[in-house]
Amino acid sequence: MAFGLLYGLWEYLFRKDEFHVLILGVDKAGKTNVLERLKTIFTQSIGLDPGKILPTVGLNVGRIEAHKHNLVFWDLGGQSGLRSIWDKYYSEAHAVVYVVDSAARNRFEESRAALDKVLENRELAGAPLLIMANKQDLEGAVNAQEVGQVFGIDRAEGRQFKVLPVSAYTGQGLKDGVEWLVETIRRSHRSIRLRVRVAQ
Amino acid sequence: MGLWISKLWSLFGDQEARILVLGLDNAGKTTILYRLQVGEVVSTIPTIGFNVETVTYKNIKFQVWDLGGQTSIRPYWRCYFPCTQAIIYVVDSTDTDRIGISRDEFKALLDEEELRDSLILVFANKQDLPNALSDAQIAEGLGLHDIKNRDWAIFKTSAVKGEGLFEGLDWLSNTLKTRRK
Repeated sequence: MAFGLLYGLWEYLFRKDEFHVLILGVDKAGKTNVLERLKTIFTQSIGLDPGKILPTVGLNVGRIEAHKHNLVFWDLGGQSGLRSIWDKYYSEAHAVVYVVDSAARNRFEESRAALDKVLENRELAGAPLLIMANKQDLEGAVNAQEVGQVFGIDRAEGRQFKVLPVSAYTGQGLKDGVEWLVETIRRSHRSIRLRVRVAQ
Repeated sequence: MGLWISKLWSLFGDQEARILVLGLDNAGKTTILYRLQVGEVVSTIPTIGFNVETVTYKNIKFQVWDLGGQTSIRPYWRCYFPCTQAIIYVVDSTDTDRIGISRDEFKALLDEEELRDSLILVFANKQDLPNALSDAQIAEGLGLHDIKNRDWAIFKTSAVKGEGLFEGLDWLSNTLKTRRK
């Protein structure tokens, strides 16, 4: 009995944490491409070739290990009809990656409105937010600073956030992104809360 | 016969593979099986008494039976679980009365140890009929969002018109392929 308790405590204190990261954004932002590229960089397997990626109409799960932590990515379909599923994944998410197609100015407004809705949800209170200004490899892509301005992240009160220039196509910015995620999640109050909830 | 089946087959090599096509009765499963035009549909009634339809293409078996009947025969379903690469779960999108039953049956499948690694492809079928629920509504009704540890996808289909089926199967072979690397 005593041993069982001690063992439980030991396991609780030293187990490798698993962090859940949501990948959101409107359709064609490149969410699945980000996920597949992360698999290529951080795992033994090679992610799907960008040309072979179909629009996601559900969930793609990706697991990586980085900086001594296990990360589980949930890449959810971005078509407007299916965005209603997003919030079902909020309560268990440690952080959000929001992917923006930096070359599609004509969709910034829609994408920003979708992000506003995400951030308003109380289930995501305190969740760190990483905005990936994706497709930096494309000509005409807006730089990360400008994406940050358009998406008004100065309003992201009470949460850690960062805007990073990324190209899922070339892999630019993804390592930095993961490093930021792990560091920020580790220090966030939200992950302590989630951990307590799991323990209960 | 479509290109998709040879594409799918090329993923498995000599390995036995099974794809289960499941759902409540009248969801359109058998129609889908015929639509795939893979081969002859063979119907068998095992002694334990539930009807299983099978289409075989080389080493890939597509198998269909109805869920939602007597719970006493459930344990026998497990004979059909080994080597299951994917479950195609078919829902009659107009059958709003029974979406709860369909959800319960679906959950029971997800809990099966031997199906733990199977991909989940949902067909929101009968989209050709008026009052069909949308894919998002079916996703919600089945509680697809409770799946957090494996890939899933949902497609709007009309088995009678042959719409959406092959898009779904494309997703299936694409996703199976990434896992095999």
